Amino acid sequence: MTRRLRLALIGIAVGLAVFQAAPHLLERGTVNDLWNVAFAIVLASAWNILGGFAGQVSIGYSAFLGIGAYTTALLSLRGVDPWLTLPLGAVLGAAASWIIGLPAFRLRGPYFTIATIGVSEAVRVIASGVSFTGGSSGVRMPPGTYNFERNYVAIGLLAAAAVAISAVIRDLPLGRALSAVRQDVDAAEALGVPSTRVKLIAHAISAALVALACGLFAMNFQYIAPGSVFDFRLSLSIVLMPIVGGVGTIAGPILGAVIFSYLQIKLLSMPALRDSYLFLYGGLLMLVMLFEPRGLVGLWSRLRRAIGSMAGQKAIPHG
Amino acid sequence: MADAVLSVEAVSKRFGGLRALQDVSFQVRPGEVFGVIGPNGAGKTTLFSILVGANRPTSGAVRFQGERIDGLPTARVVARGLVRTHQIVRPFREMTVRENVAVGAAFGRGRRRGSEAADRVQTLLERTGLALRAEVLAGTLTIGELKRLEIARALATEPAVLCLDEVMGGLNPSEIRDTMEFVRTLRDFSVTVLIIEHHIHAVVGVSDRILVLNFGEKIAEGPPGEVVRDPLVVSAYLGSEIPAGPDPGTP
Repeated sequence: MTRRLRLALIGIAVGLAVFQAAPHLLERGTVNDLWNVAFAIVLASAWNILGGFAGQVSIGYSAFLGIGAYTTALLSLRGVDPWLTLPLGAVLGAAASWIIGLPAFRLRGPYFTIATIGVSEAVRVIASGVSFTGGSSGVRMPPGTYNFERNYVAIGLLAAAAVAISAVIRDLPLGRALSAVRQDVDAAEALGVPSTRVKLIAHAISAALVALACGLFAMNFQYIAPGSVFDFRLSLSIVLMPIVGGVGTIAGPILGAVIFSYLQIKLLSMPALRDSYLFLYGGLLMLVMLFEPRGLVGLWSRLRRAIGSMAGQKAIPHG
Repeated sequence: MADAVLSVEAVSKRFGGLRALQDVSFQVRPGEVFGVIGPNGAGKTTLFSILVGANRPTSGAVRFQGERIDGLPTARVVARGLVRTHQIVRPFREMTVRENVAVGAAFGRGRRRGSEAADRVQTLLERTGLALRAEVLAGTLTIGELKRLEIARALATEPAVLCLDEVMGGLNPSEIRDTMEFVRTLRDFSVTVLIIEHHIHAVVGVSDRILVLNFGEKIAEGPPGEVVRDPLVVSAYLGSEIPAGPDPGTP
């Protein structure tokens, strides 16, 4: 185990302990907000495995959001224990990622991204159009499936798992292969990296995590509709959180998720600004792209270097 | 020749109306250094890209250790033990030198893991003179170091045949001498070497046998001493005698 992995795992354990202690210390409204933060951390960290490590920018994650949420809702309505539907949602999400990835990974760069937009729109249209999903009016979870306390514990564990999985992957040969693919896919192939296969693996892991989170989402909100889970703005937020925080890093998606959840909560409480969040997100994205492509994490390391060199200059006269 | 490790059989490649390769056949024996030379546009690079699967031949076959590999995806060819370096170096600039080499060790024919991989990487870094630069980002290396990194990464995949594409292009005369010396020592890795080089003296200096291409056709094959005196070869190189002594090489 490398030092950076050990540090990451210690950080995750501490974060998880604080998160699980929070309900005993804070009021219910804040605890609700924390649920949303953990949910966003799962999405952002999961997306980062493919989008950050392998550089495959997908705007089509609403497909996996929808699969996770609908698997849980529809099976629960047929009497299945919602907790048992979660692993199935994850498997279906991973399977869908494979089906989407096989043709889409033949495309490179922006063409891949455009293809994923098409996929997410197609899935949304299908979900609103067919009858077993309840069409555009959505599905309500059966009574007795709501248990916030258990759901809170579960989303915390899932967020910790998503971050831990990212940190472990980064240190495995798989992580190195993804990084090689991101930097120069032909050179990676020329060293024996099966680029399509490693991309499919990353896609599947990330889709399964997102589907799991959305199963919990369905249980927590008790109602899902194409307008909520297949919202293009949600697909976009998944991309923006890791990019603003620091794409390809472990801490970046967490930072991005915290900031985005905070913004969303603040904006929702101000009716006048309710719909301005796309404007805000767009502005943040432009700032990041223009000034620090490695996001807040990049900004932080730049700051640390600056402080370090200042301290170094001071130290010279004494030394 | 039954014991050939690599055998190219009547390979032709056309790009539209352009015949890049015409009926080229040759065989590479295990353990030898086999040179491919030819003027610009002779089809050397096309030949290489066909060998490693980036390009499919229009007709003909490539056999590696007895099995056909033409048309296989590059990563599969590498997994079988045939690997190439790139004329224009392609390092992973945001990885350290050590990590670059580790990619080859983890995913080539050897698929090494853990300490076994780390040992192999360290050995290669020492052999290619990159050990002191192991922890710097590859993007900060000099061109000479980058060329060596290409070779170190390719060797990390544990190839049976290593294809070197113009590894001496852009190097200064002393670096060329060092690289030639290094190529000679590659036999210690029990690697067969196929070397494409614009720099004719370097190839003549290191190769056991040489193949000469001109306008996509094979015009000569044999020991370097004979090949460079072949009248066809001489006229292909601007119709002049091949100049004696090392020159800095054209890029």
